Amino acid sequence: MSAPVHPTATVPSPVMDPRLAPPFPTAALPILQNTQLRKNVAHATDVIQAKRNNLVAEKKDWRELRNSAAAIRAHVLANLGSYLEEFETNCTAAGGTVHWARDAEEARAIILRILREENATEVIKIKTMTSAEIQLNPALEAAGIKAIETDLAELILQLGDDEPSHIVVPALHVNRRQVREIFAQKMGLPELSDDPEALTAAARTYLRKKFLSVPTAISGANFLIAETGSVVIVESEGNGRMCLTLPRALITLAGIEKVLPRFADLEVLLQVLARSATGERMNPYTSLWSGVTAGDGPERFHVVLLDNGRSEILRRKVERQTLQCIRCGACMNTCPVYRQTGGHAYGSPYAGPIGAILTPQLEHMQHAQSLPYASSLCAACYEVCPVKINIPEVLIELRAQVVNQERSQPARWFDPMYLGMKAANFAFASATRFRLAQRLGRVGLRLFTGKNGWIRRLPSLGARWTMSRDLRALPEETFRDWWATRDAKPGKESR
Amino acid sequence: MATSSRQLILDSIRAATHNDSSIYADLPRNYIHRGALDKASRLQLMTERLREYGAEVAESSLADLATTIARQLQSSGRHIFVAPPSLPAEWLASNFVWKVDHALSHDEIEQCDGVVTAAFAGIADSGTIVLHHSPTEGRRVLTLLPDFHLCILRASQIVETLPEYFDRCPQPPRLATYISGPSATADIEMTRIKGVHGPRFLSLILVRDDI
Repeated sequence: MSAPVHPTATVPSPVMDPRLAPPFPTAALPILQNTQLRKNVAHATDVIQAKRNNLVAEKKDWRELRNSAAAIRAHVLANLGSYLEEFETNCTAAGGTVHWARDAEEARAIILRILREENATEVIKIKTMTSAEIQLNPALEAAGIKAIETDLAELILQLGDDEPSHIVVPALHVNRRQVREIFAQKMGLPELSDDPEALTAAARTYLRKKFLSVPTAISGANFLIAETGSVVIVESEGNGRMCLTLPRALITLAGIEKVLPRFADLEVLLQVLARSATGERMNPYTSLWSGVTAGDGPERFHVVLLDNGRSEILRRKVERQTLQCIRCGACMNTCPVYRQTGGHAYGSPYAGPIGAILTPQLEHMQHAQSLPYASSLCAACYEVCPVKINIPEVLIELRAQVVNQERSQPARWFDPMYLGMKAANFAFASATRFRLAQRLGRVGLRLFTGKNGWIRRLPSLGARWTMSRDLRALPEETFRDWWATRDAKPGKESR
Repeated sequence: MATSSRQLILDSIRAATHNDSSIYADLPRNYIHRGALDKASRLQLMTERLREYGAEVAESSLADLATTIARQLQSSGRHIFVAPPSLPAEWLASNFVWKVDHALSHDEIEQCDGVVTAAFAGIADSGTIVLHHSPTEGRRVLTLLPDFHLCILRASQIVETLPEYFDRCPQPPRLATYISGPSATADIEMTRIKGVHGPRFLSLILVRDDI
């Protein structure tokens, strides 16, 4: 392999597999020191957010659309089994083939089997989050099949050996000079300028040949329509339309939650999606197709329906709403944590607030347990979510699960945090013990209190708090002491 | 025989949802269905939205349509055009080379300078052109590979809101493409660039079949 042209070379290569990625705080630290990356992320999220806010403000019925969108998505989840069967029946009747995959491994195996039947050596891809979720590209490479990403941002990342950091604008952390470097080297265009127009034109020329010659394509899906068995893809560039119409065979990989009851439900979802995702009234291209149409588009069409933990999420009352998501990314653009770190710190294709709740659940709470803590619980994500997912509520529920896991591990007796919480629990459970603890604390903290009444530095675990802020000394008199003796000190309470 | 993945997934879903009841007919639908604009304002909005996207818009009466098409093709500076099989013969202006799509190959379509089609509907609120890919609108690939798309839209086909378009579809289409301005990207520093893979130039003739 050639040397990576990593645009963020001062940062270690991001690990986007939740099973291998370091915890969020560890991954975020080097990124926070990369001012270029933070500047790029801040610029991109500011631009999309401003556009989104303008267009939402102009929409007189935004609240009603949002209510309907949330209700439709929740309704689908409550009836998911029947809608999936209806989709399967209608897609099959239209000439498509429907496959069911319980997990990532099965989905990869199904896709590889189809590609072998097609004798594929190359495959063109439309940006699909689900294929990143199942780690499809490494599997294709191992099978000797070259995957070609055709979304401009994904192409930048693929050629630059980098990873996506946003679900709608995956290369928002890369700036034009960095794109120029990557394209100049990988496309053999040393004279290329860093003008975005020239860079886009270079990608157009580079990919046009691939579109016209590679006979197999892989896509995701924005929506599956139960009523008609149709698939809907929303995009901007036209690379999607190329992949959907030019090849002889098309494979669509879709999470089981992506289904909508009827064609006409798009009148709600399409209105909220484009506004939330890119701040447009409507994205440039939306494609809808049903199975196979003679003379128009692929001759063979496969849909792979992926569970991979989703039916388990469906079972949980609070967490189920996670599956209402339509992947617009609005929660990322507004999140004060994401806006500082970008997507790589999340160690998963799904970043930001939705990633913080979706990733650990897809991993059956066995990995990515630090993500529910990557939030200030400010609820800005809930505010902008077009399908009203109460992300903070799910975050808190998941934090409780993480704590419960930790509580059952033998290692807990060596964890100062656990011991501290245990001690606090013991002290807070009785008034006498609480009073005693307050007194001990006052005496103990005196050692660290400066003359001005501030604590600048605490030892051991406490140092984490004082690392970035000072702490006031405990007051000489507690509220309870004051309350008990207030009548004996006339004049004081009138202050 | 081992239980299929299909069955296992459906069983798992049913186990999770067996206590749920949610009726489709009860879903709230209080958003705006009908637009409030009169006909003239509706057409004006459509034109404004298209121009915001960088599309070119010309108006024409029904009687002058063929002349208007010829004029727009002339000013595009292009010469070889592809046409869907059932495009009205009088739209195929002379002085240009026409390739009518009777199963043309992708390469043959790619080599054309532009394409001329009809449309199924227009949605003014978002400046969207809807193709259902009938024989006058052409196969999907026709409006994709050439760099220039001239689309003929009748005023009577234009609705104001997206829900009004769905009302005009008694049967859901088998294929549909919704075009809102030329192909675009903002992937590099959020700078909007026209024309990544689809046609870089979109031109519209609004036919005043309403007057």
